[in-house]
Amino acid sequence: MSEIVHPSPARRLAGGRLLGSSQLVLAVILAALCIAISLAAPQFYSEANVIAILRQCALVLIVASGMTMLIITAEVDLSVGASLAFVGCIGMAVLNATHSLTLGILASLAFAGGVGLVNGLVVTRLKVNSLIGTIGMMMMLQGGVYLFTREAVQNHHQLSSFTGLGAGYVGPIPMPVIFAAAIFIIAYVTLRFTTLGRYLYAVGANEKAVRLSGLRSERLKLLAFVVTGLCVGIAGMILASLMNAGQPTAGRGFELTVIAAVILGGTSLLGGRGSLFGTLLGVLVLKVIDNGIIILGWNQDLQMVVPGVVIILASYLDIVRNKANVR
Amino acid sequence: MSHTSMTAAPDKAESSFFARLLKRQEMALFLCLVLVIAFFSFTAENFLSVRNMTNVFGQASLALTAGIGCAIVFISGEVDISIGALLATIALPLILIMNGTESLVLGIGGALLFGLIIGIVNGYLTAYAGINSLIVTLGMMFILRGGVYLYTGQRAIPDDAALDSFIALSDGRLFGVIPYSAIIAFGLLLIFAYMMQHRPFGRQIYAVGGNPEVARLAGYDVRRVKFTCFIISSLLATVAGIILAARVGSAQHTAGLNFEFQVVAATVLGGVSLAGGIGSLTGMALGVLILQFLSNGLRGLGLPTEWQLVITGIIIIAAVAFDEAKRRRAIGG
Repeated sequence: MSEIVHPSPARRLAGGRLLGSSQLVLAVILAALCIAISLAAPQFYSEANVIAILRQCALVLIVASGMTMLIITAEVDLSVGASLAFVGCIGMAVLNATHSLTLGILASLAFAGGVGLVNGLVVTRLKVNSLIGTIGMMMMLQGGVYLFTREAVQNHHQLSSFTGLGAGYVGPIPMPVIFAAAIFIIAYVTLRFTTLGRYLYAVGANEKAVRLSGLRSERLKLLAFVVTGLCVGIAGMILASLMNAGQPTAGRGFELTVIAAVILGGTSLLGGRGSLFGTLLGVLVLKVIDNGIIILGWNQDLQMVVPGVVIILASYLDIVRNKANVR
Repeated sequence: MSHTSMTAAPDKAESSFFARLLKRQEMALFLCLVLVIAFFSFTAENFLSVRNMTNVFGQASLALTAGIGCAIVFISGEVDISIGALLATIALPLILIMNGTESLVLGIGGALLFGLIIGIVNGYLTAYAGINSLIVTLGMMFILRGGVYLYTGQRAIPDDAALDSFIALSDGRLFGVIPYSAIIAFGLLLIFAYMMQHRPFGRQIYAVGGNPEVARLAGYDVRRVKFTCFIISSLLATVAGIILAARVGSAQHTAGLNFEFQVVAATVLGGVSLAGGIGSLTGMALGVLILQFLSNGLRGLGLPTEWQLVITGIIIIAAVAFDEAKRRRAIGG
């Protein structure tokens, strides 16, 4: 416990290694997947399919960007899936009432950010383990969304700008991908090149040392929770736009996909170690697998089985590689 | 060893018997349970009837059985979140074998064998391959749930054999009063609580979860202890899955969704720490019963299921926060 920011990503960059330890494994897996799928189904590389993959990555990547920061501070948020569904319903209801896209987005950001804030306060002030605290929040949101609305909140406002959030394009690139890219870049720069980013790593690696050196570790964790919440707010609006409705049943299991992508990307659940680039690779691997299963015409239920195998396999390969390195 | 960390807190001022009794985690939980029961017996109709009481114990048997395994894995310093998916999966060998052979023993044997294999895989990957248990069991959860979807094509597989002995597992009652499922659950609870408190293996589990390094130096085989805990957890989840399959009379692909979260919540509510080495099976059982009586009482008040979810969520957070505050005050004072 003596090292504070031992496996610092900045140091790795300085050392000239672009790919961190676990990312290398992941990049190889991703490449192998792409080659294997494209050999079996040449249409894998068609422009339409690549764009489809990117679009499916977008929602997961947006939330995973926040989640990576949070897990780096050694906390976790299991309420993101339930929150995603709730946000869509609230955003749609506000849009129906006000016919204003700005107000709708503000409402959903405020709601999701508020959920993140409450999660953060429960964890940092009440000292509740984040796994339990956010399971509690997940239950409250799952129950709450049905109290709010029994069925899907339909689109009664027909704002074209709202439809554009999910279904729009800039050139050939879908809008969700642009949102995801923007959020990813902001988060990436923050984590890698700013003092704030370094503090987040430090809090996860050794909270006591951080507190002793005069930083307010609770504030940093709280911030990570709120950022994760805001990411859910954005993703929720995009999802509502894609489905053209606020679905109370949406987002079931979403939290597990997001966490799986982050873990797959090599971010340690113990905190202090991980990178957003790894998360990007993790999201890509999961979604390329999903896509491969569809274009190869396999049973779609394999979309659950294969990621399960991949998560365990990737973690195992990472451990084997680390052992080889030590020798 | 478990709860001594709570009782060992310095108590200079309050030395009266009652105050010391109150300091025990299990006692506080028991008082909570009494309060919950007292509250609903005044407000909810028929709450105190024998029928309703025994029903609650029958319903609690699932979470209670799986909770034993969950708590033991927690105490060993690991987590197992594959139990919900396992619950759904073992119904397949169970129902398929029973439909094929008309034999309850063979069906249960097949289900236990399946659960044993999953426990061995989880335990091996965690204890021997060294992968984080949250990752292993998250992966396993995906694999099992996906496997059930794949095999069933998202349709329920009915229990065509409809053996009397199997149906008795769901609605059979000893002397027409106590559900068999509750007897199974409390029987297992007694056996494992005895093991945890009075057998060397129980002490090893506490030692391994409390401080693996010290446990290793004391000559315990840390890996084997953790490996065994995962097998226990999977086998107990299998037993819970058998009871559930009997209750719904089929193998359902959606069975046990979110079950792992309910069990984890009840276990932590019962004072079993995720950090390992702390907690007791009695505490876990009280946690399960509090949540079960709560949801039963709320239903008795005519509140919809959604409100039950919301209130349960709030209570879990409040209980853990309260416990944490008490612990810090004990350390600080």
